[in-house]
Amino acid sequence: MTHSILSRRRLLLGSLALPFTISGCERRLTSEPQTVDLFIESDGDFLAFRPDELRCRTGATVRLTFHHSGKFLSALHNWVLVMPDQMEPVDKDAEKTDGEISPDDPRVIAWVPMCGKGETVTTQFIAPAPGDYPFFCSTPGHAVDMNGILHVTP
Amino acid sequence: MKCTKKILAVLASIGFVLMVAAPMWATQLKSPDTVKTALRLLVQVSNDFKRQITNRNFARVPHEYMEYTEAADALRMGIKDEPADFKARVETRLKAAVAAYQKISDMSAKATDPDPLMAEHAKAVTAMNAVFDLFPADMRPDPNLPPPGGRRGGRQ
Repeated sequence: MTHSILSRRRLLLGSLALPFTISGCERRLTSEPQTVDLFIESDGDFLAFRPDELRCRTGATVRLTFHHSGKFLSALHNWVLVMPDQMEPVDKDAEKTDGEISPDDPRVIAWVPMCGKGETVTTQFIAPAPGDYPFFCSTPGHAVDMNGILHVTP
Repeated sequence: MKCTKKILAVLASIGFVLMVAAPMWATQLKSPDTVKTALRLLVQVSNDFKRQITNRNFARVPHEYMEYTEAADALRMGIKDEPADFKARVETRLKAAVAAYQKISDMSAKATDPDPLMAEHAKAVTAMNAVFDLFPADMRPDPNLPPPGGRRGGRQ
């Protein structure tokens, strides 16, 4: 008899707790918008990015900061993120405009403007679908050496 | 007599040690990191010259020349505390190298054919290598090496 009462109480408590449990699970399952801060810089005056690999999750709001860490050369650098397999075509087109990127180019996901030594610039974008996306510096002649990959994970 | 022989032997030993050690001291630079960076930058900009000429992007060549002079200034900064005779030797060869790259820049203004510019570039590289010869072998950059840190990840 006592056992039966205890079981009923447990059942009642269990059913009362069920909605809270489900709502808690739902909250955990719903992916909240994620904000990621990424930092990248030129390798001093050399034609390379440091680091040359970046990571973020798909859908994340990415705040990317680029710093030109050169000291000696007046070469300008920027950071341009493009769709897969589009680095060379975009770079070739940018040669005609002295490295400037067209804001309407659908192959370009994000970019920062050209900057000189010691300057820092920031951009913000939503991380695209999972995959590997190339980035490069669009100053004519730089992309061959100055490039890297953004790995977007699920 | 024996004492004199001993003194002579000691003096000879000291002389030998000094003779062996002197070139080692001579190669110890005051700012090796700046010098190494400057030498690598000279190679990097020289390679950029070549790339712009090959791509027939002649309008960019004067900009590369400007960067070459900046890399040369970086080298001057790197050796500013070195002995005067060494600085003078470097300056003579560096001036010759800068002049050789300036000639390419001047020629690029009216260039339509990359071949004459490439021929001048080969001469300029020889002049640049003469500068490198004044520095210890382990500081001289390998022109075939990729830039430091460059994994070339995005290259497709």
